[in-house]
Amino acid sequence: MGNLKQAMRKEMWYLLFILPGICLFVMAVVIPLIMGARYSFTNWDGVSNTFASIGWDNYVQAFQDPGFWEALWNTFKYALILTILVNVISLLLALVLDSFLPFRNIFRTIFFLPSVISIVLSGFIWSYNYSTGIPTLLSHLGLDVTSPLGNPDYALFGLILVALWQGVGAPMIIYIAGLQGIPNELHESAKIDGAGSGKAFWYITLPLLAPSVTINLLLVLTGSLKVFDLVYVTTKGGPGFSTEVVSTYIYRTSFSSFKGGYGMALSMMFFLILVVVTVVQMSISRRREVEM
Amino acid sequence: MKKNQVAVFIVVLLLAVVFLFPIYLAVLMSVKTAKQTFDSFYALPSSFDLSNYWHAWETSKFPIAITNSLIITSLSVILIVLVSALAGYSIARRNKPFYNIIFLLFLSGMMIPFQVTMLPLYKLGKNLHMLDTHWGIILIYGGFGVQTGVLFYTAFIRQISKEIEEAAKIDGCSTPGIFMRIIIPLLKPVTATVVVLNALYIWNDFLLPLLYLQDNSYRTIPLQQYFFFGQYSSDLNLAFAYAVMGMIPVIAFFLVMQKFIIKGIAAGAVKG
Repeated sequence: MGNLKQAMRKEMWYLLFILPGICLFVMAVVIPLIMGARYSFTNWDGVSNTFASIGWDNYVQAFQDPGFWEALWNTFKYALILTILVNVISLLLALVLDSFLPFRNIFRTIFFLPSVISIVLSGFIWSYNYSTGIPTLLSHLGLDVTSPLGNPDYALFGLILVALWQGVGAPMIIYIAGLQGIPNELHESAKIDGAGSGKAFWYITLPLLAPSVTINLLLVLTGSLKVFDLVYVTTKGGPGFSTEVVSTYIYRTSFSSFKGGYGMALSMMFFLILVVVTVVQMSISRRREVEM
Repeated sequence: MKKNQVAVFIVVLLLAVVFLFPIYLAVLMSVKTAKQTFDSFYALPSSFDLSNYWHAWETSKFPIAITNSLIITSLSVILIVLVSALAGYSIARRNKPFYNIIFLLFLSGMMIPFQVTMLPLYKLGKNLHMLDTHWGIILIYGGFGVQTGVLFYTAFIRQISKEIEEAAKIDGCSTPGIFMRIIIPLLKPVTATVVVLNALYIWNDFLLPLLYLQDNSYRTIPLQQYFFFGQYSSDLNLAFAYAVMGMIPVIAFFLVMQKFIIKGIAAGAVKG
């Protein structure tokens, strides 16, 4: 009897330890998710306390909403281009900054620096950069350019450049850490066997770096699919509809157009799309990894 | 090969200049007057003029914003560290289905994008009177941060040998005693990771303050800057002075904590 009591007391401590974490998690994540799922089947306006259930109507409407599809298309275009550019550039930087380059610690600091600035600030700085800074510089060379953010054809690429500026730092660090985990002997034996640096990269470095590639592709892809701040503080989705992404479209639908229920249905579909993308991406890249 | 190395060095150097250019431009704008900017855009001013900073300090409520940012960031980070370390200890030491399921729930929660829960979170905040308060947003950040925090602490504590704890148990030390006296002193490296990653995210976050802190006297720096830029879009030199002011704390934090930030990101990638 005494033993049982003691065991209960011991277990109680562990339960007490985990309880605050569960409470915070339930409040910030679980309850909002359940509320959202429920609202997605109603005509809630996002403000009032009254709403009625309307079944799957919101989801049916979402499938026929050209705005949502266009926002989805913009989001994927933005995310795919950014993911490729960020990974190529940060991998190249990691390769040269992990090797012979003088001042490589200073360079690492410089390339990482933009990542720590808030997106509000970088959006503001770059808007100005695009509208005045770069055109003034290029006018000395006799070139006449205007801000890409004002042109529907280039606005999304303008934003991709800003995100690239802020985005290469963290993946670069992860690639450098990955490179440092590859034993030197492998490169040496490859050299003895007569492999050039290109071949050594392709057959040794890249396969062994696959876990870092997996995690970087995943982090950048899922991060950029969720883009909100950058669009919201620079173009607000314009000009026209050219930079409207899913997050800003949901925000606008929910908070400005007062279609809370419909906004929640869009959110749920977006969540599902993100899960599918993550699972597909993981299963593709895990297959390419090799065991050390 | 030597020639190649010089070429690579020059390319990297040029890229570094491109990377620093926007920041340089911001600082340059902030120390010039509108007339100086108009006369010669890229020239350094003949005299360093800090009146923009003075003016921005006075009109922007910068002291209030930085106080809010400091309170919210530091208290949220403390909350995340405490709650995650406790929960991580339970999960790491009780290898039972209940704890493992909770662990999996925390993990899968990380997949949910903020956009999906933002409208219900706003509604919840309104119903519970959490809007325009410090504690409301701190609790939400706690709920967000605990997901990755638990992941870090669980993985770290699993690597700590149980032998010392068992010896302490035989000596009659209780579970809280073991946690306080044996575990906490060992947690420094993982705590550094959790602190820097969360501090950077919370300090720079825009969306949650946009929803939760609409009142002037509760705004954090990014939010306050967003409104300031909208208001003073015609007086660019003033706006840039404010931008640089907001940049200084976070860049200083980065330069001082660089080692931990870099380690934290590398560790985060391995855990993920």
